[in-house]
Amino acid sequence: MRDRQVRPLSALSPDEVGRLLARAMESASVLAPVRRGRSSFAFAWIQDPAEAVFSYPRTILPPKQALLPPREDLFTFERAPEPVIRPPAAPGPITLFGVHPCDLAAIGQLDWAMQSRHDITDPNYAARRAETTIIGLECLPDEYCFCPSVGTANTREGADLFLTPIGDGFVAEALTEKGNALLGSVEEARPPTPEELAVWKGWADNKESRASRRLEARPEELPDLLEAEYESEVWEATAARCYGCGTCTSVCPTCFCFDVEDMVEVGLASGARRRQYDSCQFPDFALVAGGHNFRGERPDRVRHRWFRKFVYLNREHGRAFCVGCGRCTKACTADIGLVEVLNAVIAEARREEAE
Amino acid sequence: MTQSRDRRDGPNAEGFHLPQIARVVRAEDLTWQDRLIEIALPQGRELGHRPGQFVQVSALGYGEAPISVSSGPENKESFDLCVRRIGNVTTALHALQPGDPVGIRGPFGNGFPMDHLVGRDCLVVAGGIGLAPLRSVIHSILADRDRYGRLIVLHGARRMEDILFADEIAAWQRDPRNEVLLTVDEPTTEWSGHVGVITTLFPNIEVDPANLVVVAMVGPPVMYRFVILELRRLGVGNDQMFMSLERHMKCGVGKCGHCQIDGRCVCVDGPVFSGSEIMAMHEAI
Repeated sequence: MRDRQVRPLSALSPDEVGRLLARAMESASVLAPVRRGRSSFAFAWIQDPAEAVFSYPRTILPPKQALLPPREDLFTFERAPEPVIRPPAAPGPITLFGVHPCDLAAIGQLDWAMQSRHDITDPNYAARRAETTIIGLECLPDEYCFCPSVGTANTREGADLFLTPIGDGFVAEALTEKGNALLGSVEEARPPTPEELAVWKGWADNKESRASRRLEARPEELPDLLEAEYESEVWEATAARCYGCGTCTSVCPTCFCFDVEDMVEVGLASGARRRQYDSCQFPDFALVAGGHNFRGERPDRVRHRWFRKFVYLNREHGRAFCVGCGRCTKACTADIGLVEVLNAVIAEARREEAE
Repeated sequence: MTQSRDRRDGPNAEGFHLPQIARVVRAEDLTWQDRLIEIALPQGRELGHRPGQFVQVSALGYGEAPISVSSGPENKESFDLCVRRIGNVTTALHALQPGDPVGIRGPFGNGFPMDHLVGRDCLVVAGGIGLAPLRSVIHSILADRDRYGRLIVLHGARRMEDILFADEIAAWQRDPRNEVLLTVDEPTTEWSGHVGVITTLFPNIEVDPANLVVVAMVGPPVMYRFVILELRRLGVGNDQMFMSLERHMKCGVGKCGHCQIDGRCVCVDGPVFSGSEIMAMHEAI
């Protein structure tokens, strides 16, 4: 972590944050957390700063949708008389507001996956990312969170501006020039008082102690521990409970697998090549033309999800592809807990190691 | 690895998701289910592929399918695809006639380690449609014949009428440095050759394992396992065998996740893997 002291800090009232949001909306589409029902929250493209909430446990879907939409046209086409292919329109400016540290870390993971992995950059993702400003928002873990276990609890990664609630207002950290400019648009911003600074500094410890779910191993230990348990019965047992519905991957902020298919207009003359989220939990995900399915059994697919996040991409990138947001566990239709499964495998690996 | 792993020379940002509109130069049926489609890129552009690489072929409105390039890189004006009619996209591709437009992205993947083959004997093990990508290796060898040693091709097909490139095979056999052994699983009365799965051809060849490189693509995973057993019996080391693996690559650029084997993406890390690499992966075969 960078030294917190070197950054310019400002104190903002909720009204001032509202004005900052209004200012952002003048030049960008703003995706912000909004209330959906009694206890649910969702990221939505807001039309009014008042729609945004400044405190929420988690959204059902992550802000990933702004950078990697659930569905997007890679191009549109006309088939006849001569094929014509039209690339998508260039995206406009985007501001993501109220992004928790776990989701900041997830965007960092997606940046690597979509822009750097294999030295290949996905132009659609990169175009949107280049237009994106991120305003982070501090939070406190609830019973599903395990951000301290994966090292994302206190990250500011990728944020241009970061807000920490202090008393009635916020302490704002400007982390980039973009963030500085945004903050500069709020004339009333003042330096925080020593009392506010003390609360702000104590926040990190508070988060660490609040998270009740914990991984029983450090992320960097997981590749070897899981690899040793490739044949573990935990995968079978988990698969026996799993419905294979793909909810976990749909709500995951770091999952980026997609399917590509052509959609044609009813006259068949034109259409679009569309990509949309896919799930490694669906039976035909690894099916090939000859009819062979390389992950034909549900335990294979269940294991693949954990291995992809904690072994393969963890090894390749040096970071687990899980940011501890708790969405998959909260949303699971079969009440399967990601941490519980991991801890069961870790315990088994340690037991066998000791023998 | 001996082969080039440069991943930047295939997809470029401009054509990343967008196919080039290429033209069909020639289209003819090879068998009742396979069609040879020769394609030229626009403005005389060269595909610039290595043997074993694949392209993503678009039939607009139907979708895209990953298909291995079936000709060697020595032909710079055009390239061949051997398309088996399996699903919607390949059925649409079978309808293509000379002059028709067809979308192409790529080439993608690593390809076979041709440098490694120079000065050595090459054993090609081709099960069914596996001969399509391996034909690009064979063409490369034949185009520069003196740089390579013996060329031994084993090709197995289900029935006689499924044998690919039958005319070409006859031509390959005219050079005494080349041997082609064919087998079918289900013989008909016209078939007087070998009968049995491709591994039953191995007792009929003699090789110098120290000077041999094997390139193979043989169908379902179980066939790979049996071929590797036969190669071991011949004394061929894991680093002398290179196998092209089949997966359904949707994007071709290591993003979509469909072709992943353990931690590797077949579209960028493969489709060709050495025996050692295959042995180190759980899900390969």
